[in-house]
Amino acid sequence: MRPEDAIDRLQLDEREVRRRRDYFQVTDEDLARLASHRDLATRHNDEVIEALYQFILGHPESRAFFPDAATVARVKQLQRRYFLGLFQGRCDPAYAEDRVRVGATHETIRMPARLYMGAYAVYLELIRAMFERELEPAAARAAYASAQRLVAFDMALAMDTYVAAAEDTIVRHQAAVRELSTPVIRVFDRILLLPLVGTIDTARAQQVMETLLTRVAEEQARVVIIDISGVPVVDTKVAEHMIMTTNAVRLLGAKTVVAGISPVVAKTIVQLGISLTALETRGRLQDAITLALELTGRAPAGRQA
Amino acid sequence: MAPTEAAEAKVLTREALPVRSEDDVVLVRRRARELAQRRGFDGFAQAAITTATSEIVRNALVHGGGGEATLEELDRGGRAGVRLTCRDEGPGVLDLERALRGGFSVTGTLGLGLSGARRLVDEFEVRSAPGAGTTVVLTKWARR
Repeated sequence: MRPEDAIDRLQLDEREVRRRRDYFQVTDEDLARLASHRDLATRHNDEVIEALYQFILGHPESRAFFPDAATVARVKQLQRRYFLGLFQGRCDPAYAEDRVRVGATHETIRMPARLYMGAYAVYLELIRAMFERELEPAAARAAYASAQRLVAFDMALAMDTYVAAAEDTIVRHQAAVRELSTPVIRVFDRILLLPLVGTIDTARAQQVMETLLTRVAEEQARVVIIDISGVPVVDTKVAEHMIMTTNAVRLLGAKTVVAGISPVVAKTIVQLGISLTALETRGRLQDAITLALELTGRAPAGRQA
Repeated sequence: MAPTEAAEAKVLTREALPVRSEDDVVLVRRRARELAQRRGFDGFAQAAITTATSEIVRNALVHGGGGEATLEELDRGGRAGVRLTCRDEGPGVLDLERALRGGFSVTGTLGLGLSGARRLVDEFEVRSAPGAGTTVVLTKWARR
């Protein structure tokens, strides 16, 4: 996911950042405390990042994401900037966007969340060690507690970036599946076949009807065969959809034949009390095609020639 | 009445599923089919409980604004059953008798959901009052 898209999705305005900060208890005091250690952090910046990458590159799984020296040099530079970001004394939308950018970068190279989060654990440990080495015990504890809260805030943004990217993928796939699952096939001149497969929800029913009507007009079709053998549950919703589609198709001057009605579906439809007498129906697709040929004034395929 | 008929239905499993979107309708009815298969229902009975579940759960979504569906696997004297209890907190069914007769709809649909579902199952109970939501309990038993 592109960083700009991730930022857009998480809607990191003033209010949202405030809400997140409240939850993670990142106070102005924390930010001021960390800012007071900026010189210390600057002095140890290289050392912390070197140690972090020693861990990342020392592990075969995470090393695989850093193919060459140039990449390593580039990400180390970014990490140095990221590390100093903790000691700038601010946690506002600009800060949050910066953090999302880092998360999106890791997501884009498809680094698994567990490797990313594992590196965070090492990172925190390095920060703790730095404070303990350089500060009095009480000051070190306070500084580390502040850093922990801010890093937790950062980690949540990284996770949310991963989740947003995954949700995006699902939405894209749903759209793709919807499109793939409404193929309208021309079986003979002026005869179209629509094999319905899977669940017919409201969005899909709309799309199926629009696609079909467009094709009926384009092909000047006279008969449309709707094969419902791939629909797992034929309930009143599906029946309604078939009736509406038939009515719409009729307005364009074409007839509808419903095929693929199994014995189980036939019994269920009757028990539901649905009347499909307005529709031509056939059990087998082959019989529906024969009927379609008759309806278009042609002898069935078998008797031709 | 034979002793097996009089026996109390034993609940073997129970699971509650949310009803908040059309996807949930699909998930609940798919689960109903799985339970019916597991309980050894034949194809007709499987379709009956699955379709009835689809109708009732969609009603809860469309008319009741969503709610909760509970599915139970039952055993009564060795006879396998599946029960759906579907609750919503919608306005309730204003004219229950008319809705159960079928062909009556306030939303321009076929209006056969409730009456059709009733014909598909063996036991059917609906509790509803204006403003108090609707609860539908339906049970399908495997053929012996």
